[in-house]
Amino acid sequence: MRPNDRSYLDSHEWAKIDGDVVTLGITDFALEQLGELVYLDLPDVGDEVEQGIGFGEVESVKAVSDLNSPIDGVIIEANQALADDLESLQSDPFEAGWLIKVRVSGDDALAHMIDAAAYEEVVASES
Amino acid sequence: MNHSETLLQTPLASAHKALGAKLVPFAGWEMPLDYGSILGESRATRESAGLFDVGHMARIWFRGPNVAAELDHALGGCITDQPIGKARYTMILAEDGGILDDLITYRTGQDEFFMVVNAANRHRDLEILRSRITESTIDDITEDGGCILALQGPDSVRILQELCDDADLSPGFLDLAWPGSPFGQLFVARTGYTGELGYEIFTTAEQSNAVWQRILELGASPVGLGARDVLRLEAAMPLYGHEIHEDITPFDAGLRFAVRGWKTREFIGSSALQAAAPSSKKLIGFTTDKRVPRDGYPVLANGIEVGQICSGAFSATLQKPIATAYVPLDCDGPFTVSFRGKEMPVDVAVLPFVPHRSRD
Repeated sequence: MRPNDRSYLDSHEWAKIDGDVVTLGITDFALEQLGELVYLDLPDVGDEVEQGIGFGEVESVKAVSDLNSPIDGVIIEANQALADDLESLQSDPFEAGWLIKVRVSGDDALAHMIDAAAYEEVVASES
Repeated sequence: MNHSETLLQTPLASAHKALGAKLVPFAGWEMPLDYGSILGESRATRESAGLFDVGHMARIWFRGPNVAAELDHALGGCITDQPIGKARYTMILAEDGGILDDLITYRTGQDEFFMVVNAANRHRDLEILRSRITESTIDDITEDGGCILALQGPDSVRILQELCDDADLSPGFLDLAWPGSPFGQLFVARTGYTGELGYEIFTTAEQSNAVWQRILELGASPVGLGARDVLRLEAAMPLYGHEIHEDITPFDAGLRFAVRGWKTREFIGSSALQAAAPSSKKLIGFTTDKRVPRDGYPVLANGIEVGQICSGAFSATLQKPIATAYVPLDCDGPFTVSFRGKEMPVDVAVLPFVPHRSRD
């Protein structure tokens, strides 16, 4: 079971809310599907993200994949060090491998996302 | 994902599953993309030996008293002077000189040739060849339970010798051999698609799994189609649908050797080649720092689009992305590539990216 302290998208992103700050990342399943990583492109602090719109790209030996934002907000922190330490993203996607932190308005920002149990079903259906 | 109901399988399908392969649909077949690490499998091939199931590729026999002359006319290569016991790389051309497919012919006798063509083109190639070759028999044995095992890399010589229990066995570059082995007589060619010294072993239905298992026991690593594409691109060996296709001539692709004698011989496509001006484009190589230029990405010089990426991959050998593209003959850059809308500089590299060792 993946961490149940956060919410998921069926496109394999996770989001964890703490007050008005949401931390975003991608799941171990997404990384397993991508395979060996070669490149990560994250936006800058101060950039805006928009629900359903890509905020960056992760590239593996096999393919390029968009990073989808589940929320609207402004980036207050980006884990730029990951770009030179893709191993941390690959090995610890739920903690050290977080991607960006976004300030959101309203405490129901993640209401449209699914919980860990529902995400398990998504993974099972794609495995 | 379960594609197995509609896809063809090679006789090694169960062996791949047991090895934990990621299986993907490819040209109508279920094939191993990787066994866990595309980069690791690439390195294993360059450093020791890799074993590839390429049983999806089409295997075709041609037989008849006039078969060499008929093939000579149907293909771009000069087949009549192909020695018995040798393999040759050539292609099927359209009347206008465009490349319909590339292939290898293996002359196994005065009146007998074996041919291997791309899986994706199998049915079209057969249709074309049957229209061009009317006297000789054409026998497609692709689905007879036999297979093609490609053994590639510097340890291939030792492994082949141990497989056949013959310490002197060492066929030369492009040679064919029929060594005895505990699995019966094998049909072996010193050919490959990696730039490494290596062999392709054509197994019968009875031999396929036993020979595959034995070669793994002798130290080769299983390698999937993912690493195969990286290795062939490092070696700048063309892939149909990428570097070569109907709009590309052998001259464009730098493959003049595949149409040897084109000035004087008569074959389908020769008139167009003889009439054509010298190629107006050239195939060049790029390397980048991080991002992989992928098939179809625009290539620009001075902000103007001058071509598109044919193939791109992350090279395990060079530890950086590599790619090929056609650009106008007189265009020397500097080049940029548009990565999904973001234009970034790329460096021109000499082809092949990794030197060939296939003749060593």
